[in-house]
Amino acid sequence: MHLNRRTTLTGSIALLALLAAACTGTGGSSEGADAKAPDDPSEVKGSITVLTHRTDLVQDGTMKKYAAEFNKTYPGVEVEFDGLTDYEGEVKIRMNTENYGDVLMIPAVIEKKDYPKFFASLGTKAERGARYRFTDYSTVDGKVYGQSPIGVVPGFVYNKKVWNDAGVTDWPTTPDEFLDDLRAIRSRTDAVPYYTNFKDMWPLTQWTNVNGSVGCDTGATTKLAEGDPWAEGADLRVADTLLHDIVRGGLAEKDPTTTNWEASKPGLAKGEIATMWLGSWAVVQMRDAARQAGADPADIGFMPFPAQRDGTFCAVTSPDYQQAVNVHSGHKEAARAWIDWFTDKSGYAEANLALSPLKDAPLPDVLEPYREAGVKLLDLDDGKGAEVKSIDNMSEVGIYKPDYRQDVVDLARGAREGSLDDFLGDLGKRWSEARNSLGS
Amino acid sequence: MADTAREAARPGRRLTPWLFLAAPLTLLLTFTYAPIANMIAYSFTDWDGVSPELNWTGAGNYSELLTRSELFEVFFVSGYYLAASVVQIVLALYFATVLSFDVRFRNFFKGVLFFPYLVNGVAIGFVFLYFFQDGGTLDSVLSLFGAGTDHAWLGTPFSANTSLAGVSVWRHMGLNFVLFLGAIQSIPGELYEAAEIDGATRWQQFRHIIAPGIRPVLSLSVILSVSGSLSVFEIPYIMTGGATGTETFVIQTVKLAFQFNKTGLASAAAVVLLLIVLAVTWVQRRIVPDEKVDLV
Amino acid sequence: MTRRTVTRTLVYLSLILAALVVLLPLTVVLLTSLKSSEEMADGSGALALPDDPLNFDNYVTAFQDGRMLSAFGNTAIILVAAIGGTILIGSMTAYAIDRFHFRFRKPVLALFLLAALVPGVTTQVATFQIVNSFGMFDSLWAPIALHMGTDIVSIYIFLQFIRSIPVSLDEAARLDGAGAFTVYRKVILPLLKPAIATVVIVKGINVYNDFYIPFLYMPSEDLGVISTSLFRFKGPFGAHWETISAGAVLVILPTLIVFLFLQRFIYNGFMRGATK
Repeated sequence: MHLNRRTTLTGSIALLALLAAACTGTGGSSEGADAKAPDDPSEVKGSITVLTHRTDLVQDGTMKKYAAEFNKTYPGVEVEFDGLTDYEGEVKIRMNTENYGDVLMIPAVIEKKDYPKFFASLGTKAERGARYRFTDYSTVDGKVYGQSPIGVVPGFVYNKKVWNDAGVTDWPTTPDEFLDDLRAIRSRTDAVPYYTNFKDMWPLTQWTNVNGSVGCDTGATTKLAEGDPWAEGADLRVADTLLHDIVRGGLAEKDPTTTNWEASKPGLAKGEIATMWLGSWAVVQMRDAARQAGADPADIGFMPFPAQRDGTFCAVTSPDYQQAVNVHSGHKEAARAWIDWFTDKSGYAEANLALSPLKDAPLPDVLEPYREAGVKLLDLDDGKGAEVKSIDNMSEVGIYKPDYRQDVVDLARGAREGSLDDFLGDLGKRWSEARNSLGS
Repeated sequence: MADTAREAARPGRRLTPWLFLAAPLTLLLTFTYAPIANMIAYSFTDWDGVSPELNWTGAGNYSELLTRSELFEVFFVSGYYLAASVVQIVLALYFATVLSFDVRFRNFFKGVLFFPYLVNGVAIGFVFLYFFQDGGTLDSVLSLFGAGTDHAWLGTPFSANTSLAGVSVWRHMGLNFVLFLGAIQSIPGELYEAAEIDGATRWQQFRHIIAPGIRPVLSLSVILSVSGSLSVFEIPYIMTGGATGTETFVIQTVKLAFQFNKTGLASAAAVVLLLIVLAVTWVQRRIVPDEKVDLV
Repeated sequence: MTRRTVTRTLVYLSLILAALVVLLPLTVVLLTSLKSSEEMADGSGALALPDDPLNFDNYVTAFQDGRMLSAFGNTAIILVAAIGGTILIGSMTAYAIDRFHFRFRKPVLALFLLAALVPGVTTQVATFQIVNSFGMFDSLWAPIALHMGTDIVSIYIFLQFIRSIPVSLDEAARLDGAGAFTVYRKVILPLLKPAIATVVIVKGINVYNDFYIPFLYMPSEDLGVISTSLFRFKGPFGAHWETISAGAVLVILPTLIVFLFLQRFIYNGFMRGATK
């Protein structure tokens, strides 16, 4: 039985919430609206609010500079920013109303099939797919609802000087080799070989981006939806095992429970920390930290996951948060103008040394070593992305959440009882139970 | 509640109290009861917290809760906070008794013990993150006494929960202390004088004069501690986010709702928690039917 | 040494120990806030004294970059409005419940009591829908309304106090021809002054320290209050304990000053909050 929440539930408590019900009952008439690009930039008028997770850029004025630049082309649009510290949590609550800005990053909580109810379409898959990357991540029934302004490539950010001092000059090609290298760093340098960023949680979720790199398979996401992610040799098992072995081998920081992300950046820049699993987006932040700490920005290196198929490394590309237009926005043209400008012209991707969302743009400098080493870049097929999310929530495993990896680290440190095999086996069991009950 | 049938029921008067209550009741119903009603309604659905559609699942969430015993395992963590509140009450009682007698710098000690209760929670979070850090305040103090340690204070479930419960004692002891002190000071001074003349020791004075005098406040503190221990949220959420076995029932509920989008199940868990808290309160009122104390 | 002296010494020792436990974490934060970032980078121990005890640079940074001034301004506005509203609402409720005999009196009282037991975090989605539907989202009205509308403690404080006001006073005024509202305004409210002082203090501390409501309902940076502004330090100053510490001290300082000046009222306030 399907109910419409807004009418039925508020109706059932009408006695108590007369006032509230009168106002929350909203018509869903805007569903399916398009956000068309304006024909004449100088004609667009209105004030728009952009919700963003980049609180750092809001706070240091960078976003205001983008807005000023944007106003040179679109003088009639006033852009305001809401930087949300707990982006997912706050946006989820706000999306229960129509009041969730004009432009926002699509939060993970929204199911793909509901995109048309919340966001205005940016165009068809056919027209956008020719020009932009990552369109299938937000395509519903042939229409595209979001666009990521950058693409990211996962990898280890490392301090080249420390690795050289330890006598390692070539990228490791297997997890075992990687562990050996970390051991060399531990014995030959003063640096902490690997830093988990356990306390800040989200850096641990980055490990899920390994998926696809080990098997060198564009269908890796589909595999998650159809198989056991922790089966012997599966990508996530390889990743989680490596993380476990790093911590178990005493190759990570002493006290993971009080780590500090902001402090880890100068730590890596100055060579106190040798390695962190993050993504290409982190390189620019590490280089900034190096400059501030008086270290050499050129020491910051970037390497792929230690696994090769037929002698080549593979690295997946994935979108960051995708910008979308609120379907209830009163200024859809202006909002669309902002997304187009931010994607195509802002220079945001270049400033972040990230992959451009434009298909014909050149690779960023950061990935130059990847090109030289012949690392294969894969665009994953996200056709089953929605299923994976459903299974993930249903099973309460949370592959995009930090909790289970915190457990892996605790397991490796001995702060939690049990063996890794049993733990991953249990995850696999919960995963397949959820898949079966969703499939039935 | 004292009976207050003081107002003659003159005609036309019936409406008057409602005029005074109109604004308070409207606010109460709008901002407290409407959300509760919504929460109860959601607990019978599979709503994910944001989708415009939801399905009626009857008592499904409640039976899922009851059959998944692991969801209640987090109440073990409440045990740490319960133990901590025993320590907290004993300490508060001790200091209140000591400071109710003539002591030098009495006001200074009184102020120091109470002050943490007034400190901003976010500030407390930062203060204690620094406190437990590797090489932070605690490690420095210990090495001052030659007990140099490498212990990761938030590193194991036992150590982390004990540390967090310790922060909770640090923060909340002051309130218990001031409540006890107030109760002790409201005991007439002649009682002590008489006791002194009879040659009673301090302990005897405590047992026979002070203890009976503070019973109502004590029972209030106990009930607040029990329900407080069941719904601990802020301190562990800010400091560890529930990692390393520090997850409490409320953190788990928030995670169910916000990480896994099981708002329906989370609402049911919240309702269950509310019922447990109500039950504890009810039991306490049966055991100590004390007219003098109202729940705050 | 007699037994009495031994006990006395032990008592003082325990008091000094307790004072140290309370003050130590706070003192370290104060010390840290006076150190320069170079000192911190050189691994100055937590208990080490700052090189320059009058180094207020971090405070300047925290105050300006952390936008503490507008935070204090917003907090002040919310404090005044929410406390004012709470006093009116609490005293009116208490007056109606104590001085009138009407149908549903007990259920109404029970409604207020029960509300105090609900764990607030769990109902936030529904609360948000309601606040937003009044257009109060991202404005100072949201915390003002929520603080006014969900306060049970102050109603209790007024209720307990109003009982001690003799009914004969009401009746005397009534005989002079005063209506219910005049009695409330001219007789009851002035006599409630001590209770009002209590509510101002209890409520004031609550509002000042509240984090969740402003965090959720006022995301705009211009609307930061002291809790949220301090919390936002975590991002840009995450690696700079000296700046975070300065921010924490800035937040704690007003509490300390108010506490020192109003100690007596504050103790009374909290005691009265719990017992008759």
